[in-house]
Amino acid sequence: MTTAPEPDDVPEAAARRFAGGAFTSGLTVPDFAACLQMGLEPVGFVQGFCVMQWQWYGMGSPYGTFGVPFQGSTSGYSQTWQCPHGFVSAEHRSWGQNYEQSWIEDAWRQGFVSAYDRMIEEATSVGAHGVVGVVDSSDRLSDLGVLEFRVQGTAVRVTDGPPPAGGIPWTTYLAGQRLAKSIEAGLAPVSIAATVSSVRVWAYCITEYLTEGSAGGWGYQSAAAEIEQMSEAHMAVRRIARQQVRTQLEGDSLRGASMITTERELGHGDAEVQCILRGNRVRRFKAFDPLPPPQPTVRLL
Amino acid sequence: MSADGLGAGADPVDIRQEMLDAAGYLSRPAASDAPPAQRRAGRTSDLSIDEEFALHAIGWEPVQLVCGASLYSVPMGVWNWGQGEITSASEAYARAFAGASDRLHQECTTMGGRGVVGAHVEVEVHRHHVDVTIVGTAVRPVGSRGLSADPVFVSDLSGRDFALLHQAGWTPLGLAAGASFVYAPRRSAGVAMKQKNQNVELTNFTEAMYSARESAMERMQSAALAMDGTGVVQVHVEEGPMAFASHAVSFTAFGTVVRLVDRHTRLTPRMILPLDDPTPAFDATSLRGG
Repeated sequence: MTTAPEPDDVPEAAARRFAGGAFTSGLTVPDFAACLQMGLEPVGFVQGFCVMQWQWYGMGSPYGTFGVPFQGSTSGYSQTWQCPHGFVSAEHRSWGQNYEQSWIEDAWRQGFVSAYDRMIEEATSVGAHGVVGVVDSSDRLSDLGVLEFRVQGTAVRVTDGPPPAGGIPWTTYLAGQRLAKSIEAGLAPVSIAATVSSVRVWAYCITEYLTEGSAGGWGYQSAAAEIEQMSEAHMAVRRIARQQVRTQLEGDSLRGASMITTERELGHGDAEVQCILRGNRVRRFKAFDPLPPPQPTVRLL
Repeated sequence: MSADGLGAGADPVDIRQEMLDAAGYLSRPAASDAPPAQRRAGRTSDLSIDEEFALHAIGWEPVQLVCGASLYSVPMGVWNWGQGEITSASEAYARAFAGASDRLHQECTTMGGRGVVGAHVEVEVHRHHVDVTIVGTAVRPVGSRGLSADPVFVSDLSGRDFALLHQAGWTPLGLAAGASFVYAPRRSAGVAMKQKNQNVELTNFTEAMYSARESAMERMQSAALAMDGTGVVQVHVEEGPMAFASHAVSFTAFGTVVRLVDRHTRLTPRMILPLDDPTPAFDATSLRGG
């Protein structure tokens, strides 16, 4: 996300519009007022898009490996489970595996970073120092396996302020009073940070039985038992996302993070667990000055 | 801190100058331009800036985003008609909650936190499994390092609530949970016939609900006592029938166990009369596109 942008890539119509004189902004009126108070002048509403073909099965898919634990990915999280029953039948799930779907993570990163970089190109072309109030999304455009990545925000200039290092605008999900409070706390915005992690659960017999509440003909399951493979998948997908985003931080910190995890059941214990972690990468520019203990108040309405 | 001991936060802030200082800092090459091997991994936190302010005001800081997850199976057939409590489902809930909480404790300790605040607890009860995930931010007193003799706490209180509790002389200890799933017994044929076409109380459901409630609340209270707690605050209660088992009722409860550290400090809130228009400014989530 820190690649030097090429302003020449900004669409001609957008460049003409930005040169038009009147600024555009996605800020609410209170956020707009707060930005002016901070000495931030809005210069343009900037956007970046990237539309990706989106399929679940990419390189490294376990399909076609004929019952052998997946060996395609040499990096990333992988954990296997072995059936305790010995050979039962060809249909019996004699092994299970959780593995990181790096091809999905890479594709998501490609879509997100492309959209982000295109937004930065627009911001750079209007001489912005930063982009505030960033909103990003990734939505399916249709049922045809197409995913649209969108990143947008309001490009701003710091009145009488120097340009950012390398001329690359800083970005933040914050705007208005939230941004003012962050600055007041000594945390300067560096960039938004976002990542996705994806773990595929390829269930072995025990996971399959437990998620269906049965013992699969191996006696009667009478008590609650942990579905260890699924628990591990849910822990791993969050840890991977956290680790990936920490790597992006390069010593800075992530504040106001949002972690959203979804599970897609694929049947018979199989599932895909995905986690999106995003937040504001910030850098401390002054020592923290402790606040006085807050004074409790009661509002009379 | 300023001379009056109130700290710089009490002084008027020149936010424009602060922004210029931040811009000046960002215009210089970052220290992170150091070789990758010399870079340290950054901290993460899902606390809002307001929560972080509140934490700092009482001398605490965020350390790392931490999580715990546990899924337990519910044996097949337990939701069919029966009598009394569906113990295997109640047990699955209790063990999944405890498992997720234990993993959160472990992550917090590994990251050097003394406790977790703002924990988001998600519980899903399915026909064949109970899923519990807890995500929160590990926190510690500013500048503290290494292990502490005090046990790690987990709390779903916000940073603001944690600061308020702290000011009042209380401390959170952990999350306590209780759940009970109970069959609503069949009515006899005679009773069913008698109640047909009448709007009357279905005592079998009412009694089942009371039974589930008593068991769940008692379990939560027992968990609180086991932590040597004085009480439980911010209890989240969910009750009612389940989509996949309409003849059974569930009652689940969890909250943060608290204990008085020394003596209670009375907070005397100042009454304020806002003079601004009561119009909502904007939706907080709009900034995230959520």
